[in-house]
Parts: sequence; C-alpha cells; structure tokens
Amino acid sequence: MANEKKFNLSSFLRSNAVMILFVALSIVCLLASGQNLNKVLGDLTGRMGRNIFIVLALIIPVVAGMGINFAITIGAMAAQIACLWTVEWGISGLPGMLLAAAITVPLASFFGFLIGKLMNKMKGQEMIGGLILGYFANGLYQLLFLFVFGNLIPLNAPGLVVKGSTGVANTIDLSTERGFKYALDDVWRMPLLDALYLVLGIAAAIILVMMLLKKIKQRRGLIIIGIMAVVTGLTFIPPIAAIFENISAPMATFGVVALLCLFNTALLKTRLGQNFRAVGQNRTVANASGINVDRVRIIAIMISTVLAGWGQLIFVQNMGSFQTYGAHEQVGLYAGAAILVGGASIRKATNSQAILGCILFHLMFIVVPDAGKLLSSDASIGEYLRAFISYGVIALALVIHAWSGIQKKKNPREALAVRR
Amino acid sequence: MTTSKVRRIIAFALTAIALIAIVCGIVTLILRNGQTGEDALQSMRLHSVINASGDVETFVAIAEKQATEAAKQEYNEKYKSLPRNDPNRISMAELTKMRKAEAAEATRAMYANSSVDLSAMDTTGLKAALLDYANKLKDYYDAKDEAEKAYRATHEAEARAKAEAERQQKLEAGEEVIGDPVIVIDMSKFVATDEMLEKQAIADEAYLIVGTELKKFYPLIDDETLNTLKPTLSDIVFQPGDDFALLYDRYVEKGSAVALENAFLATLVRHADDIIYAGLALLILALMILYYETLSKKLGLPRIVLGSFFILLCFLTLWFDLSLPALLSNTLVRLGMNSIMVLAMVPGIQCGISLNLGLPIGLVAGLVGGLCTIEWGIPGIAGFAVAIAIGVVIAAIAGWLYAQMLNRLKGEEMSVTTYVGFSIVSLMCIAWLVLPFNSLKLRWPMGTGLRNTVGLDSTNFKHILDDFLSFSIGDLTIPTGALLFMALMCLLVWLFTRSKTGVAMAAVGNNPRFAEATGINVNKMRVIGTVLSTMLGAIGILVYSQSYGFIQLYTAPRQMGFVAASAILIGGATTTRGKISNVLIGTFLFQGVLTLGMPVANVLVPGSTFSETLRILISNGIILYALTKSGGGSRG
Repeated sequence: MANEKKFNLSSFLRSNAVMILFVALSIVCLLASGQNLNKVLGDLTGRMGRNIFIVLALIIPVVAGMGINFAITIGAMAAQIACLWTVEWGISGLPGMLLAAAITVPLASFFGFLIGKLMNKMKGQEMIGGLILGYFANGLYQLLFLFVFGNLIPLNAPGLVVKGSTGVANTIDLSTERGFKYALDDVWRMPLLDALYLVLGIAAAIILVMMLLKKIKQRRGLIIIGIMAVVTGLTFIPPIAAIFENISAPMATFGVVALLCLFNTALLKTRLGQNFRAVGQNRTVANASGINVDRVRIIAIMISTVLAGWGQLIFVQNMGSFQTYGAHEQVGLYAGAAILVGGASIRKATNSQAILGCILFHLMFIVVPDAGKLLSSDASIGEYLRAFISYGVIALALVIHAWSGIQKKKNPREALAVRR
Repeated sequence: MTTSKVRRIIAFALTAIALIAIVCGIVTLILRNGQTGEDALQSMRLHSVINASGDVETFVAIAEKQATEAAKQEYNEKYKSLPRNDPNRISMAELTKMRKAEAAEATRAMYANSSVDLSAMDTTGLKAALLDYANKLKDYYDAKDEAEKAYRATHEAEARAKAEAERQQKLEAGEEVIGDPVIVIDMSKFVATDEMLEKQAIADEAYLIVGTELKKFYPLIDDETLNTLKPTLSDIVFQPGDDFALLYDRYVEKGSAVALENAFLATLVRHADDIIYAGLALLILALMILYYETLSKKLGLPRIVLGSFFILLCFLTLWFDLSLPALLSNTLVRLGMNSIMVLAMVPGIQCGISLNLGLPIGLVAGLVGGLCTIEWGIPGIAGFAVAIAIGVVIAAIAGWLYAQMLNRLKGEEMSVTTYVGFSIVSLMCIAWLVLPFNSLKLRWPMGTGLRNTVGLDSTNFKHILDDFLSFSIGDLTIPTGALLFMALMCLLVWLFTRSKTGVAMAAVGNNPRFAEATGINVNKMRVIGTVLSTMLGAIGILVYSQSYGFIQLYTAPRQMGFVAASAILIGGATTTRGKISNVLIGTFLFQGVLTLGMPVANVLVPGSTFSETLRILISNGIILYALTKSGGGSRG
C-alpha cells in the first residue's frame, strides 16, 4: 500500500522529474500568456476529446517492454486509408465512422503484424526502429496516395482528386455531406460542469460501494469523497463557475475513452496481460517459463496499432478534415511526449499517467504560443516552442531512463528498491 | 540440377541474347548513318511535307482569309453608303460570315477529290529539293546561332553592369536580395548579320525550288499559299538541334510512318542505340547472375540491390535520351557536397557511439559559422575558412558536452541521440528567430528573425570549392575543388585512424570490454570520437551549403543526420564498423540513385515528387536494415 512506503523525496523527484518540470512550465506559461481561463479550458476539452485515445493506445507496448511505440503513425495511416474510402463511397455520419473503424481493424492488424515481426528482429532498439519505420512507411504511404489511389484505382467522389495534379488532393474534407465530421462527438454532448458532476457522482458511488465491500480503508475513502465534495463546492463560486461556462463536453467520445481505459485494465488482468508483463520485465525469464515471447510482442503491437488507428479516426472526426500527406506524421511524437509528461517511463505506464500527461501536454500546447510571443513577435515561434518541448520531453525522458538504468546496474540493491 | 547450374545456364542464355542485341544494334547504327537511314528520313519528310501542304483545312483557312479581305472591300464599296433603313443594307459582320462560308465551301469542293497518290508520281525532284532545302536551312541556323553567340559575348559585360546596378539600388532601398544578380542579355537589339542574310537568301531560293516541285503535285497552290506555308514546311524540314532521332520522332508524330517502305527495319534503325544499351544491360545482368555468390559475399545484399538499381537508372536515362554525362556530373557535385557529412559518421562509429544521429548538433554549429561570415561580409575563400573555423570551435565545445552526456548512457545511444538532435534543431529554430544578426542578407526585411534559406552569392562562398579548378569534358563537369577537399578530409581522417589514438579508438568501437581490459581509457576515446564527428559535421554542412548555394536554417538540418547515416550504411558500414571506403561508395551510390532517379521518374510520371519519396524509402529502409542486423537476438 502506498502510505506504508517510506516517502523518499530524491527518488520521487527523479522518477517524476519530467512531470514536475512540466507542471512548472505550464503554470509559468499560463501566467505569462495571461489567457482567459474559460477559453483555455474550452480548448483543452476539445483537445482532450480528440487526442487522448491515441495516447492510451501506447500503454500495452510499454507494458510489454517495447518502449514508446512510435510506429503508431502507421496505425494512423491505416485509419486515413479507411477515411478515404468511406468518403469515396459517400457513407456519412456515424455509419461512416463505424465503417471506417471496421476497415481500420484488418488494415492496422496486418500492419501491426509486420511491425511486430520487424521489431522482433531489433530487440532493444524498438523505439528508434519504430520511429524510422514510421518514416519508411510514410514513403510507402505517399506512393500509395500519389500513384495508386486516384491513378491506378480511380476515385470519383468530388474533391478527392484535384485536376491537373497527381494523386489524392492535399486535404480530405469530412465536413461535406459525404464525411463524418463530429459523428461521434455529436452523439451525446452535455455542459462540461454537468459532466464533471456526473463523473464525480459516479466516482463517489463506486468508492462508497468499495468501502462497504471493505476494499478500501474507511479513512482513505472518506478523505477522497471529502475532496470531491470540496471540488463540487468550489464550482458554485461564481468566478470558478464562469470558467466552465459555455463549454460542452463530447460525452460519447469520453465514454469511448473510458471504455478503452477499462479495456486496458481488464486486458492486463487476463492471461495475455500477464504474459505482456512477464515479457516486459525480462524476456529471458519469460521465454524460460514457456511464453512465446515473439508472439506476445507481436500481439501487443497489433493491439496498439489498431487502437492508434481508431484514435486517429476520433481525431479526424473532431477536426473535420485532415492533411492527406501530413496528418499522421506527428502522431507518434505528440502521443509519446504526452504519456511521458504524465510520469510514465519507457518501462511503466498506466491509464492515469496517460490521462494526466495528455492534460498537461495539451495545456502546454494551448498556452505556449502566447507565452512565446513575449520572446519574439513572430507567430511561428509558438510552433517551434511546441516542437522543442515535445522533442525535449522525449529526449529528457530517454536520458533519465538510460541514466537510471545504468545506475541500477551499478547498484543492484537500489535497483531492487526501485522495482518494488 | 543444382542452383549454380541453373544460374550458369540462365547467365549464358542472357549473354547470348545480349550479344545478339549488341551486334544487331551496331549493324542498325551503321545503317542509320548510311543510306538506309537517309532514305527513311527522306521518304518520311516527303510524306510530311505533302501532307502539310495538301491539308484541305490550310487551303480553307487561306481562302477564308482572302474572303474576309474581299468582303471588307465589298462592304466599303457597296453597302457603306446606303442609308440605315435600306432593306438591302447588310452589316459587315454578316457579309464577312457569308463570304467566308462561300469560300470555304468552294475550296473544300475543289480539293475533295484531289488526294495525291504518291506511288503514281515521280517524287525524285521534290525529294532532292527538300534535301537541298534542309541542308541550306541548317547552314542558316548555324550561322544564326554563331551570330547570336557573338552578340551575347560582346554584350554580356553591359548586361552584368546593369544587373549589378539594379541590385545595388535594391540593396540601398532595403529590399530583399537573394543570390547572384540574374544577367539578362537584351536580344531585342540583335540585328541579323550579313552572313545570316546571305544564308537566308540561299535557303529562300531552295524553298522556291521546293515550291515549284510542290506545284507539280498541287496545281492549285499559288505563290501566296506557298508563302503562308513556309514556316510550317521549314519546321518540318529542319529545326535547330535536329538529329536523326528527333527528326524521326517528329515525322512519326505527324503520322508519316506509313510512308516507310520497311517499317520494322526503320524502327530498329531508330532505336539502334537503345538496342545496344539493352544488350549491355543484359550482359551486366548475366555477369551478376554468374558471379552472384562472390558479389554478395564481397558487397552484401543492400549494395547489390542499390548498385543494380543505379546501373538500371543509367540505362534508363540513356533509353529516354536524357543526358547521362550531365546527370553524372550532378552526382559528382552531390558526392562532394554530402561526403563530409557522411565522413562525420566514421569517428562516431569507430569510437563506439554507433551512428551519430545527433549530427545536427555539429550542423547547427557550422551554420552559425556560415552566418557569421555573411554578417561580417568576409568574401571568398577567407570567408569560407573563417566560417569553418568558427563552426569547428563551436562544434568542439558542443561535441564535448554531448560526449559527456553520451558517456553516461552507453548502449542506449541511438534513440537518445536522435531525440537530442531533434531537440537541438527545434531549439535552434527559436534561436534563428531571436539571434542578433543584422545583415539584410540574413534577416527578413519585414518581420523578425532570419530567413528560411539564406542565399549565397559570389560575394560570399557560393560554389567556392565546386568552381575551383573545375573543368568540363563534353557535358560532364568535374567539380575538382569539392572532390579535392573531400579527398583531403578523407585523407586526414584516414591518417587519424592510423595514429595510435585512432587505433585505440577503433578498438573501443569494436569491443569496449576488451579495450578497457587492455588499459585504454574508453570514456576518453568516446569523447574524442564524438567531438571529431561533431566537428566534421560542422565542416560538412558548410561544404554542403557552398555547393547548394543556400544556407538552410530552421527545420532543414533535422533529417540530415539520417541521410548521412543511411549513406554510410549503404556503403557497407555497420553500427560498429565503418571505413572511409564505405563513405565514398555509400555517398556515391545514394546520391547517384537520387540524381538519376528524379529525371527518370519525371519522364515516367511528369511533375511528381517521386524522387523525394525514393529518398525517404532508401534512406529509412537502409537504417531499418542495419538495425535488424545490429539489434537482433544478441541482446536476449
């Protein structure tokens, strides 16, 4: 139990350095930018809705010991191929989205299978391999969209092919009557404040039930419920209530995200999930205990790739259009940076870290451009700052991980302590 | 039957086909230059000319034009003076339309049944006249070309002075000026020389003979029609720069292939050179199949694949009648341009940090050096030297810090260095926006920050190496300076690897534990290697920029580490072993495939970005291949 462990400040700082740095950065930027909190929260809600699914898709490979799966860009490509064809067939709205999701499954599974096969040949180098594989697949994707679709396989839907240029148009618009803009988001929307009350209510009910079943200590449960009550109380103070004004939450999307969280948790409790953990902790031991290591790793990557594809579908239905040749490129970077910000490492990741990381990372995304204007009046500085922070977060996390890994080797006793 | 036997049989079969093709090609090539080629051209030329001058629509157009003139006159004479309300009055447009229709109908009726049956006529006169006309036209165009060249040569200085003055004006007005001034020689004042006029007169006379011969076929042709037809016919007969293939293709396009007596032979003659190329390609293929085992052992699969691809591209450029020498000199330029950056991988690999994907650290250092030179306005070779000096110093400091970091994460270098490199590039993006450079060559005149691409020109170090002692053999230009510089740097690195430190460093890269056991200071060697690699990166980007003609800032250096890494891998290096020869082979193959691939792809799919896609696939594919070889099961 957590409160039985001795609180060690230095080890806490070391394992959460990225997150702490990030919270500080976000607060400074938020103050410096002087943005309207209502606007920030509105932006954040939208960004959370469209980005969090794909961040959650990273958890399984981390557990299986393959690090951050930067090859999720390939899942996003599968989703974009599916999008193209649903638009071409003109199936719009929720049916179109569901069809795209269905097409994504076999495509992304197949791609995931190939990625897994390749990654099994470069054990220990999965992250750099996944990154380069993403670039390589991008080349194949361009061949497909420039020379196959629209040329060898004709496309008839208006706007998909521009006359006088080769290949599929630069932007695929989903807001026409053929697309599925907001197909999922618009299923069920409610005001953010109501959504907050709903979530808090459900959480309180669950905790009460667990207290009655004696799964949680009474004192602890009461403290949590107390905190939630205070939060609820705070929202009745007019200035805080004003922050929540006029923001609608896409509940269906958040519902899907909640389902994914449940799926992740449940999967890790199954036999397959145990195998993921075993392989992630030590391949040699897992192999000795009769687990087919290569197969388990391939399954992990396949699940991640399919989930990433669905995540990209959620992203594009919210955006309403996407850049045919560029929408997938940064997916791995942003998702990877987000989960690392939440305190995950390349060996350990949980749902809550993914959610927290996503919130912090996208909060940064919103506030940094305005803070950047203090440095230079050029509008592009925000974009560069974002890129720097994203890359920097990943570099820092990798450095810290490599560093602590080497120190573990030097000091086995500490290594044991950290693992526990 | 064993595979080696099958291979031998296939190889011999291919050789036989290749030899037949080559012989066949040589024979047809001789035929092309002899009477057969001349005959084919002549009969096609005749057919084209007859067709063009016998084209009913041409006559209709002429008749209509005449009718328009006549109608105008008629209107002026008859109807213009009539009062407005006169029932007989007719507007000029209507009259013209009416007369034109009449004329067209009459002409069509006249020519409807007059298609010429060539076989029944004696064509020798016209053929001879046409040949004569073609030769005289050629003389005329040659004279014109020469005269224009002379005119350009005499007026170049004037135009240059004008361009310089304009540029100075712009600079003083604070406008943006990128690159060297564009020298445009005003040809409007060019007057035909006496020689040209003379040759033209001769050609015109020849045309008159053609005209008289033509009249035998089309009695209706009058002198005026002949005049109208003149540009069309002269274009058919001869255009500047024509050779057999161009003429042949032009006539085929006009549908004159039917005039050939032996179409198959003519096609063979037209493609004689292509047949020889195909034969040579097959021969090489046969040799490769025959010696596959030796080749794959010595070169390895990636080099065989890319090497064959390069050879295939060479043949394709010949096949599509692109200039192979020009493209190869392009490859040489890009070999010199990229080789130093690829060379930067060698110390990194040898000291055991594997592929230095953090190369952008060195690159931005070099870029800062280049910018300083432009800011201070140091011209020419001195500026280039200063740029290198500054770049190398910054790179040494940054490389040392970077090495300290790398020494703390042994075994995890690749993914960490990649992201560290990416971070540095995006950090420098911000730096480019806020660094206090003032020169208008560097800054946007409006707005803040430095330009995306800073144009180099003759006042800085544009092409300072490429143009040094460069010479041309036909279309093939050798960038001597760049290649010499490349050789010098390679020699220096090679000498270093032979030194005591270099040998110790290579030992660290090959087997760190063994090196440590023999008392080598592993960390120190890794620092030396990393610093060297970063410094070479700084020099590399400056060499790249001088050849490219632009200094690229912002996100441009991000992928260059990958390009360099993939080039040395293509050359046969692994993540733990790398040599100078790997650098040279790899850079040449990689850049060769890219430079030849672009024009070939443009012929196949016009206006495509195929070359860029090719770069992405090759560069990342080879890194993936190397990763599968280095990672693998060895780590458990």
